[in-house]
This record gives sequence, C-alpha cells and structure tokens, in this order.
Amino acid sequence: MKKLNFILSGLGGQGILFMTKLLAQTALNRGLKIMAAETHGMAQRGGSVVSHLRIGDVAGSLVRAGSAHILLALDENEAYRSLPFLTRGGRLYVNAPVGVSVRKEVWPYLERMEMTCRFFPASETARELGSPMAANLALLGFFAAFQNGPLPGHEIRQTIEQASPDRFREINLKVFNRGFERGSTEREKAQGL
Amino acid sequence: MTHQEIFLGNGAIALGLLEAGCQVVTSYPGTPSSEILPEVVQLVRSEDLNTYVEWSTNEKVALDNAFAAAVSGKRAACCMKQVGLNVAADSLMSAAYVGTIGGLVIISCDDPGPHSSQTEQDTRLMARFAKVPVLDPCDPEEARRMAGLALDLSEEFQIPVILRPAIRVCHARQALLLGKIPRNGRKASFQKEPGRWAATPKFRFLLHEKLNRKLKEISRRFDGLVPYNVHNLTAGKSYPLGILAGGVPYAVVKDILSEEERDDIPVMKLGAPYPFPERLSEDFISACDRVLVLEETDTAIEYFLRNREKVLGRLSGHVPSQGELAPETVYQVMDRVLRSLELAGLKQSGQGEAMELVKGLNLPVRKPTLCPGCPHRASFFAIRKARPKAIFTSDIGCYTLGLNLGGVDTCLDMGAAITMASGFYHSFAQDQIDQPIVATIGDSTFYHSGTAGLLNAVYNDARFILVILDNQTTAMTGMQPTPGLGIRADASQGKKIPLERVVAGCGIDFIEVIDPYNIGEMIQLIKKAGDYVKDPNGGIAVIIARHPCVIAYRDTAIPEKVKVAVTDACVECNFCLDRFECPALYKDETLGRTAVNQALCAQCGVCIQICPKEAIVAV
Repeated sequence: MKKLNFILSGLGGQGILFMTKLLAQTALNRGLKIMAAETHGMAQRGGSVVSHLRIGDVAGSLVRAGSAHILLALDENEAYRSLPFLTRGGRLYVNAPVGVSVRKEVWPYLERMEMTCRFFPASETARELGSPMAANLALLGFFAAFQNGPLPGHEIRQTIEQASPDRFREINLKVFNRGFERGSTEREKAQGL
Repeated sequence: MTHQEIFLGNGAIALGLLEAGCQVVTSYPGTPSSEILPEVVQLVRSEDLNTYVEWSTNEKVALDNAFAAAVSGKRAACCMKQVGLNVAADSLMSAAYVGTIGGLVIISCDDPGPHSSQTEQDTRLMARFAKVPVLDPCDPEEARRMAGLALDLSEEFQIPVILRPAIRVCHARQALLLGKIPRNGRKASFQKEPGRWAATPKFRFLLHEKLNRKLKEISRRFDGLVPYNVHNLTAGKSYPLGILAGGVPYAVVKDILSEEERDDIPVMKLGAPYPFPERLSEDFISACDRVLVLEETDTAIEYFLRNREKVLGRLSGHVPSQGELAPETVYQVMDRVLRSLELAGLKQSGQGEAMELVKGLNLPVRKPTLCPGCPHRASFFAIRKARPKAIFTSDIGCYTLGLNLGGVDTCLDMGAAITMASGFYHSFAQDQIDQPIVATIGDSTFYHSGTAGLLNAVYNDARFILVILDNQTTAMTGMQPTPGLGIRADASQGKKIPLERVVAGCGIDFIEVIDPYNIGEMIQLIKKAGDYVKDPNGGIAVIIARHPCVIAYRDTAIPEKVKVAVTDACVECNFCLDRFECPALYKDETLGRTAVNQALCAQCGVCIQICPKEAIVAV
C-alpha cells in the first residue's frame, strides 16, 4: 500500500491530538502501520498545534514539507500556516465560519498546484448540537465523507464509538455523523456538476 | 497473549525499561522527557509490578539515587532532558569510573531546535566526555529495545549507559506489540569495597585504566551490533557517495532514499555511536569516494572520522550547524550534495514558493502566553507596578512568559534568578549604585536549585526581593507534583515541606505569603519588602506568591467566578493589552475598544483591578 501523510493543525485545546489518535487507531485496526508526531508544551498556552500522521511502511514520524496528502485544519489561519506541507494534488479541509472562502492571495497557488480546498463550519455544526468543543469530530466527519482510501468513514465512526468515554459517546457520534452528512451532500453536489 | 497498542515514544521507553526488569526509576521533569516516569507508573499499576518510582528534586539527585540502587545490585534508570544531564554531570563523570553492579541507564532526551530548552546540545558528546556508551534510537520501537540493551550492556560491563532519544522519538507515536511483563525479584545487597565505591585519586587512576579497557571492548562489540550499527554495502563494490546517519536523521534518510528509489546510495546506520565502531565505519568509508554525515545536533560521529577529505557534514559547511534537521532540510542537503558531486539529484523541488506565500499573508503571530487566570500574570503586573526600575532576574518555567509583561530581564539556567540577583547586587553595590532587583522563581525551580543560591546570597549579604511564584505544581512540563504538597510520583502522600520552612532554613527573616490575585495588597507588600531590603539592618526579603495553577487545579483554583466586561469608559490606551496581556482581552475593531472573549475568560476577576480608567467591571 502506498504511504498516506496527514497534517492536522489548529490551536491548543481544539482536540488535534484526539483527532490524530482516532485516525491512527482506525489505521491500526485495519492492520496498517502508523507513525505520528505531535507538538507539546506550548500548546496549552495559546500556541499552534501541528500533528503529523503517516500511514504505511515509513521510518520517520515527521511529514516532509510538500508531501502531505491531506491537511485537516481546525483554524483558518493555521490552515494557511501549514499549507507548505501540502503536496501537489493534495486535499485541504478547513474549519471556517459560513461565508468564509479561500483568501485571494492563496487561490492561484492552490489552482496551480491542483489542490482541492473545502471549507466547512465545523465549530458552528458542533455548537448547534450542543457540543462546542467537538468541532474536531465535525470536521473529521466531513472529511470522512470524501474518503475512499485506507480509512473508510464507517471505520472511523467505529473507532470513535470504541474510544469515546461513555458519557460522551452519543454526542460524539452525533457530531461526527452531522459532519459526515454535510460532507456527503457536498460530495454528491460536486460529482453532479 | 500479545496485542498491539499505540505508544508514545516515552511510553515505549517506559515499557522497555520494565520489560528488562528495571526496579527503580527516578526523574526530574523536562521536555521532552517528562512522560517517561508517568508512563512507568501507569504500567506498574496495570501490570502489577513492584518498581520503585520517584520524582526527585533535581537531576543530580535523580542520578545519585538511581546509581545507589544499581550499586545495591538492582536495575535502575533515571530520566531527564539534555540540559538536566548538565546538572547531573558531576555524578555521571564519577559514576563512569566506579561503575555499578546492577545495570544503570541514564535517559537523556535531546531537543534539536531547540523547541523548549536553553541549548540544543548533543547528549552523545556528553557520553564521549564522560566516557560511557550511548545509544541513539531512530523510532519508539527501537527506543524500547535499546532501553533493555542499555541495561544488559551496563550490567555486563559494569558501566553506566546513556540512552539518548531525541524529541522526535520521545513524542512520536507508533504501534508496539505487547506481552506480559514479569516482575524482577532481585534483592538489594551491598558488598563493601572502599577501593571502588569510595575510590580516592590513586584508585581512580586504576579505575580509569579499567574504564579504558572496557571502552575498547565495547567498541569492538559495537562493530557488530546488529541491527543498530549496520550498513547496506554490497561487498566488493565502490560508490561515489555514501551516507552515514544516526538516530532520527537516519529514519528521515531511509524514507527519502526509499521514496526516491536511490539504491545507488549506501547508508550506514549508527545507533550506537560511542564507543565509536572504528572497524565497521572504516569498511563503509573505504567503499565510498565521499561520505555525507547526517546527525543531530553536533558532530559526535563526524568528529571520529579520520579521513576529513572524504567527509561532508557540519564541519565542511554542507549541513547547517544549528537548528533541527527537519525532513525538508535533510532533503535539500542531500539534493545539493548530489548535484555538487555531479550525480543525479532528487526529484522534487523545494517548498520555497509556499513559504513565501505564507509569509506574505501576515498571519497572526501565536506567541506563547500565560493562560487566562494564571496567578503569575497578576504577580508580574504587581511587581512591575511596584518596582518599575528594577532588574527582573528570572528563571525557567511557565513564568518565563512574564517576558510578555516586561517582568523578565534574565533567564540563564535553573536557579539563576537568585544567583544572578546576588551577582547583580554586588556588582552595583561595589560602585555604590542603589539598583533595585526583584528576582522571580517558581516553586519547583526553587526546590530544584534555589537553596544553594539563596544561602550564598544571605551569607554574603546580598540585598534583593525574591518572589517565589508558588502555583503548587511543576506546570510547564505537565503538572508534576513537588515537595510543597508532598504528593509523590505514585500519587501517594509523602512528606510535605512547605517553601516557608525551606526559606527560613536559608537564613531569611522576612518571609510573607500572599495571594497574587490581590494585586493592590501585593503591590503594598513589595514596597514594604523594598524598605526592608534597603534598611541597613534588613536583608533579603522573600515573598511567596501562592495561588494554585488554573490548569492543574482546574476545579478549585478560582472558587468564585466573576464574569467581566469592558464598558464604554475604555479610552483605548491599551494598558491592559500591553501590561496585563490576558489572552481573553482583545481589541474589538467594530466596537472600537478592548473587549472580553468570554470563551477564553477564566473569570478570575483580576483584570478589574488593573484598568486605570476602571473600565473593566463585574457583570
């Protein structure tokens, strides 16, 4: 199997680490090898958090700049900040409020590099369901709807079910599913064009 | 029965130690090593082992305690960050000569970059200096196996062994296969042998001779230490370029060569670089016209290569001499070297364009800052208000971020807040200059290395105000306990030794405890302390600013929450943003004044006291 490189970025406290663990565990459950790297320490004190996740037979834990296939960003600014990680043809999923779109300075670069960029109001989605801290799961659900590859959406869902503490399981799945629904709708729309 | 589980690198090391029968583990917190001890505690609990664990007060203390356990015949380990090894260096140097009976592994975690250290020094050079073997893992699984190998080697040769995982191993995650961990039932014993355990200089000479012989033997062992020291040369073949790499850079090189499908470039892996495997490296180098050395963060391997003409590395300027060797950096170095030797370069171009684009976006700078509600913020505000012209000597911890409030002028190493305060005092006093000095140090840092400096300062009659910022935890490294509340590594209750008692023991007569949330009171107290310091019959004044860390004591740190808002009385002077710097206070462009981000606000209510126009109010 070819290697798959993820970058997950956001701010301390947004649950980047939990997202990474969910994807890693899903891969592990399928018998795939994983290596991940994370930033510690300053993350709690307002800093940017970047998590690297590599699936496949890899030796190093860090994703090399320009070789991430997927970028999941819980914050708009952090999405731009970690853009240099994305490879040609890579896909970018960003948590941003409704009405926000890609900055005009960035658009030509994305086009030229054949990168797909999808914005999704993950924070609002999570808040609507009464779980404002679960934007990470909403974005994960949205992303999962576009997944054919080694991490199918229903297996990510299974991992969330197994990994969530009892009192959060139901709401976690609800948020993930809502993100997945929205993602599916958007995917169908895009394919219909 | 085995199962797979994802482990943090530091957890893999904990696992490796216990699998190898380690019975004693000591540590002082320091990024990137801090998780090792808690992971040991968790495994000891879940596997029902009988390992003794301890948060020691500093790294030298940790090493000495582990050393004694190893002398008593048990397998022992101590864990620290790379600069912590500097603190333990005195013990290490001596221990190398003396050796142990049970295995002793010193785990010293490096921080190339640095990400959160005062230096990015290379522990492998410390191993060379101390004359002890060192192992350099390239991933969590290897770190796990090397922990066991270190203990085996240490016991076989009766020499301490250093394990040096870098941050990209410590904080990496990888799936490991787990089985049952047996208990180690070895009992402590001590055989009197003063010629060894209390060796005086004449005996030290003999021990040194013995040490040198051990190192020669280990070097030969390292020549064949598969799979840690290996190369992939084809016998009889010669190559225009070979790569010599160890630790994390080895993993990076391996990935690059595999992606690029470059089997024309042989690699020699050096996971056990000292004592240097002379024969193995000679085999490799003689088969290559040129050799590129990729290692972090210094020339531990490169320095041992005798034929300088062949070697490309830091010394020749081909590899940067500072900073982390991130994968993209390694890629660029390899590509440049290949092309300069007129060999085929690597396929992809750099990320220069994307980096330029991002720079031009002027994204908000996310500088680290104290948390909303942090008592240190209140302390620094009060200190600066009360003594604006003072020199603010400070130390290492969360409170170093007092820099953002203009409350930190110096930060050198653990305990230097106090030692530099007395140093500055005497330097200015010599010229009869009355220079106020306010030193700030954390509780854990004070227990670590505050007392020696304070005793010295009292003994030599220095004069300054010392504010011990007591948030009752070791916060920056992950909320580890201190002797202040007496909680031990296994969560049991140990002896409580409050700061007041230790400070009094250092000869201080002015000791006052205050809650820094009361800014007005704290300002008054600092002024009173200043009078005492100036009084010829006075001395050093110590203020203990005590309030629990809002993260460590999330439920109890702010017993009475106060919702706050900024009124129209705000004149946009930005005093609060510049001098109080709480992340929950921000400039609202639409409102045209400062506003409170209720999602971030900890509701500590401290900001109400600081606005000169009283525009911040409780609602």
